[in-house]
Amino acid sequence: MFLQFLFISSAILTLACTVAVLVTKNLMHSCVFLLGTLVGMAGLYATLGADFVAVTQIMVYMGGVVILMLFAVMLTGGKDFVSRAQNLLGLPASMGNKWTYSMGIFVGVVFILTNVKLLSSIIKTTPTKTIGNDFPSTVTQLGHLLVKDHVLAFEISSVLLLGALVGAAIIARPRKQN
Amino acid sequence: MNQTVVSYLAQYEFFDFLVAIFKNNQSLLSFLIYLIFALLIVGMCATIGGLGTYAERKISADIQARIGPNRVGPYGLLQFLADGVKMIIKEDIMPATADKMLFYLAPLLCLTGVFATLAVLPFAGGFIMTDLNVGIFYLVAISSLVGVGVFLGGYASNSKWSMLGGMRGASQIISYEIPVTISILAITLLAGGMGFGTIVSNQGGLPHQWFMFHNPFAFLATFVYFVGALAETNRAPFDLPEAESELVSGYHTEYTGMRFGFFALAEYIEVFVVCGVATALFLGGYNIPGLDIDILPLQAIQFTIFMTKTLLLYYVVIWIRWTFPRLRVDQLMSICWKYLTPIAIFNLVGCAIWMVAFNGKSIAELVFGSH
Repeated sequence: MFLQFLFISSAILTLACTVAVLVTKNLMHSCVFLLGTLVGMAGLYATLGADFVAVTQIMVYMGGVVILMLFAVMLTGGKDFVSRAQNLLGLPASMGNKWTYSMGIFVGVVFILTNVKLLSSIIKTTPTKTIGNDFPSTVTQLGHLLVKDHVLAFEISSVLLLGALVGAAIIARPRKQN
Repeated sequence: MNQTVVSYLAQYEFFDFLVAIFKNNQSLLSFLIYLIFALLIVGMCATIGGLGTYAERKISADIQARIGPNRVGPYGLLQFLADGVKMIIKEDIMPATADKMLFYLAPLLCLTGVFATLAVLPFAGGFIMTDLNVGIFYLVAISSLVGVGVFLGGYASNSKWSMLGGMRGASQIISYEIPVTISILAITLLAGGMGFGTIVSNQGGLPHQWFMFHNPFAFLATFVYFVGALAETNRAPFDLPEAESELVSGYHTEYTGMRFGFFALAEYIEVFVVCGVATALFLGGYNIPGLDIDILPLQAIQFTIFMTKTLLLYYVVIWIRWTFPRLRVDQLMSICWKYLTPIAIFNLVGCAIWMVAFNGKSIAELVFGSH
């Protein structure tokens, strides 16, 4: 019962903050509400038993991505974006016309219907109670999966991260003056 | 399943008695136990944070050959209460051009981030709110909320001093998270788990059983962690975000009354938490020398041992603050990226190689045989 209460409150937090991100006119405030959304999602993961994923969510998004966004918004002048256009007609012409919007809505409807079709089979079947495993914790299980079964994906993603690191170093290094 | 306070108490007979009182409503009972423990721990740590300000002033006075606060209560001990009352009755000023919502939110974010870390701090065997099996990772993650709070506080005040302080604070906290996390990772290798219960129970009460003296790499990692933690809590010599000689008071320049108090309290409690983590990871935690059992009366001793080690580290933190001059911004960044991070990575690799090469044995076990 307590877990259900936590799950529902996390879900409400996520939804409310997501709506707030979309509705608020101040870009800085959107970023802060996004923080609430991501914390709420971490709460959902935690109540569903994926504690490692929940903590990683907090670590990566709250400690890294949101601060990065706040920096970016602040350094590019967050104050100037306070009154951004909200309605479709107020948007500049380069954003699209009614044909592109109606195309977008059509694609969106098809996408949602496809997802509903795919998910309906999952909703109908009742999930099995516990997946039999002999690992003491999710951390151990994830570790075994990462370095045994999915070691290739793990290594490829580490190469990707290394590339990002080198790229950042090249961009940030002082240029030679001659 | 994670070990928690409730599951610890459930192994004693009086728990059944309590369950009977609550008419078998287990979830209400565990909620109440969590509530009581949360209030206890938060109250205790808030008091420690308050006494931290007193200790800071008294120790700095000792170092500078002054007397320090000595009027309120015996030895001036109640000074922090007087300060707290003063803060509460002060006028709450909101700068006219401030961003109201973020201005109110920032100190609360700081305080939330710090209080949330107390959930996994191991005070004694069983006396830990919840022994998450991702404990230390959770602590590192949730304490990054403090960085967001510092940054937003600086931004929302709409003043140049606050802005500079907030930006310095955020960049400093993010940068120093890296060597700190890598040093912690080296210790999780030695312990074979991220939960505080696992980490502490893999050490012993005597110094040669501590992870600090497990191998040379872990010894180095201790100092990397400590320096990084000083920087993460914005303590001198890394107190650039609130450098009073250049930025008035940094990110909390515009804050008055209890909102400023929240920032100060968060900082002092965070220092306590960081020292507690250092105790648990490197200095043997709450282990009693020669004994490793968690029965109920012995936990008072365990608690005393944990607090003694933590408060000694707290003393060192204050001592460092009043000894070293402040760094420049470029020195701060070069220490983090050019020295601490490479050393931390070297330690991580070294610990991994040590664990494979010597089959997880510590130096003491190799030299003197089995302990």
